[in-house]
Amino acid sequence: MSERAFAVVGMFDSAQALVDAIPRVKASRLGRLEAYTPYPVHGVESALGLRRSPLGGMVLVAGVLGAATALLFQWWMSAVDYPVAVGGKAPFSWQAFVPVMFEVTVLFATFTAGLGMLLLLNKLPFYGHPLLSSKAIAAITRDKFALAVEAEGSAAIDVEAAKAALRTAGAGVLEVLPLPAAELAFPLSLISRAALAILASCLVAGYGMYWVVKLFPVLPPMVHMQEQPRLDAQSASTFFADGHGMRPPVAGIIARGQLPYLTKTQEEAAAIVNPLPRTREVLKKGRKAWNDHCAVCHGALGDGVPTLTAAYGAKPANLQAETFREYPDGAIYHAIMAGKNAMPSYAADLTEEERWAIVHYVRVLQRAQNARDEDLK
Amino acid sequence: MKPEAAFLPEALQPADLTEGPVSLGGLDDQVLAFPARRPPAAWYLAFALTSSLTMLGFGCIGYTMYAGIGVWGNNRPVYWGFGIINFVFWVGIGHAGTLISAILLLFRAPWRNAIARFAEAMTIFAVMCAGLFPLIHVGRPWLAFWLFPYPNQRALWTNFRSPLIWDVFAVSTYFAVSLMFWYLGLLPDIASLRDRTGRGLRKTMYTVLSLGWRGAASHWQHYEKAYLLLAGLATGLVLSVHSVVSFDFAVSLVPGWHMTIFPPYFVTGAIFAGFAMVVIVLVVVRETMDLKNLITMYHLDTMNKVILAMSCLMGYAYIMEGFTAWYSMNEYLHHIFKQYLTGTYGWAGWLTITCNVLIPQLLWVRRFRRSYPAMLFVSLAVTVGMWFERFVIIVVSLTQDFLPSSWHLYKPTLVDLGILLGSFGLFFTLVLLFARVLPVIATTEVKAILPGAQPEHRVASHE
Repeated sequence: MSERAFAVVGMFDSAQALVDAIPRVKASRLGRLEAYTPYPVHGVESALGLRRSPLGGMVLVAGVLGAATALLFQWWMSAVDYPVAVGGKAPFSWQAFVPVMFEVTVLFATFTAGLGMLLLLNKLPFYGHPLLSSKAIAAITRDKFALAVEAEGSAAIDVEAAKAALRTAGAGVLEVLPLPAAELAFPLSLISRAALAILASCLVAGYGMYWVVKLFPVLPPMVHMQEQPRLDAQSASTFFADGHGMRPPVAGIIARGQLPYLTKTQEEAAAIVNPLPRTREVLKKGRKAWNDHCAVCHGALGDGVPTLTAAYGAKPANLQAETFREYPDGAIYHAIMAGKNAMPSYAADLTEEERWAIVHYVRVLQRAQNARDEDLK
Repeated sequence: MKPEAAFLPEALQPADLTEGPVSLGGLDDQVLAFPARRPPAAWYLAFALTSSLTMLGFGCIGYTMYAGIGVWGNNRPVYWGFGIINFVFWVGIGHAGTLISAILLLFRAPWRNAIARFAEAMTIFAVMCAGLFPLIHVGRPWLAFWLFPYPNQRALWTNFRSPLIWDVFAVSTYFAVSLMFWYLGLLPDIASLRDRTGRGLRKTMYTVLSLGWRGAASHWQHYEKAYLLLAGLATGLVLSVHSVVSFDFAVSLVPGWHMTIFPPYFVTGAIFAGFAMVVIVLVVVRETMDLKNLITMYHLDTMNKVILAMSCLMGYAYIMEGFTAWYSMNEYLHHIFKQYLTGTYGWAGWLTITCNVLIPQLLWVRRFRRSYPAMLFVSLAVTVGMWFERFVIIVVSLTQDFLPSSWHLYKPTLVDLGILLGSFGLFFTLVLLFARVLPVIATTEVKAILPGAQPEHRVASHE
């Protein structure tokens, strides 16, 4: 007993011999017993008195956690953060979430079973175990069965006694495993360095990923869907003789619901008569159209003093002025249809009914600002 | 022969799982020696062929990326052409591996042990081939990450009510779980390889991959538990994956797709096609790698029986589908089912029935179940038949839907065919590489079922 040893390993030729030997060596109470076999031998775990594997419970918990996570995420994404109605279903249509819940349950449970077994229960990967550098390992992973008396914690084992016990139990070749040069467990400094390295590589990878996702998808020939060989609105074209990408409508055609406006001058337009009656409904419609389209420049009262004037080069007409009060209805209508000075045509934005309703409403505004005495009676 | 079966009549006694005496060490020498050996000329030849096909396929994919998806035969209304046919086909091929490794493990069918490793590897490679197709079928694969719900500037999430998103989750989970299952099974075998390899790159590779596995009894205990749990989880998963794939069809309203029989029908078809592919590959492996004593005629016979059973189920499913269509009193459904057999693609319908239902009936005869030419003929027929089954389901239903004005025939282009060939090339290239560097038979699992491998008094103590 001169050397300090980690373990004494005895080799057996058959699984039967190993299982028979375990109780005999165990009785001598020399240290922790461990068996090493090329395949799982049934009966060894009960002979060694190993605890039942807690993996089943771990997997159950992980599975329930997976199902809950999937349900919670789908509920939050589909019903809380951005609800989109799909197929007339309720925002939280849990029945449709079942397949994804199932898959995530299996995913969580599988990785718990696999990685939990390796990392947590078996403490693998671990390349520093003394057995891995022994002569015995090649036989163990091939066709021999080993029983080892191992040191428990810092307690030394009685090498000679262990050898004797194993030999009595029927072991063939015996091997003494020396204590490993380094500590068995990972030292704290290594763990902290590894954690730092992982953190650093996560940061680098995350930063790299950010640029990859940002730039990679838009490098030719990988382009976005909107980038296609087609003519966009307002773009120039060498294909058409006039150089425009957009085509004008064919000459002489009229869109549905539109009448051609052939009146050229304000004088001609003076003859046009307002076809709408002066009713409360028409005036309401006129007020809405005025406030929506005209008031930004001409002002809510039609006095040409709106908020936008300062930012706008031209001076909008003051419809309360004498000139405009004496304008015929048709002239106002013409200004809407053809535009005047800096004012563009509003024909495309207003229906025929709205245009005439505006004309009526302009008269109301003018009358309201220039009321005669008899109006007050 | 197991002692507990001694009272059974001879015909019912379990067959020997190996031919001739196999020792623990001898098994290692036979199976684990391959990676160290220089492969024969035939391997290089096969590898050259399959990798050329792979290059062809990726060339066609590159051309599609450059020119756009218009170089495929897909049109309006057949938006799902070869891309989805091949996806469903390859996912189905993968199912046999999980069935063999997981479901048969739960059923305690010990004959699975010798073939499980190869079948699992084929699962992983088939799912890799399958995953390729939705990726390129989206047209802009560089934006395929949009399929996952991740926080983005558009503030949008994926639509969890769509079967296509269920598919993303099902197939990616399936791949991850299969990989985990495969790797855990490989772990003790890699440790064996590590300990029989001298110095060099291989030693380093095996050492790292074996994670320091040392075969401790306390490790085996958790390992076996984990393996059993994984088998249980993978069983539910494998049934769910092809069910979810079938939801892509069944949840839509297209006549011929909108049917409740689709999930079990698809799962059956997947196992059917997968077993046929496993038989084809196993025959080649058994002959070229000299594994006749480990993969015996009994294994192939049993596989062929499974194929026969699945073929009968497929026949039942076809009849049931037809009955459902007739009984529905729905004229659109009636029309599509007539199209299956008498329309433009009627030949494909008849080919499907012939290959999937009629030809496998040969396997009722024991002599055919144990003859290479017969089983290869049947398996190739099944592979072709199952591909065309997906062709019929997808193409015929889409070419003629509710609106006759939108009817349009489908014709694949050379690029489509190139990508299909490329997927076969990729699959077999990976199979060849696997056979070259990793143990093709789960030696640890076979060791555990060899005669005398388990101590006998355990049986006595149980009684």
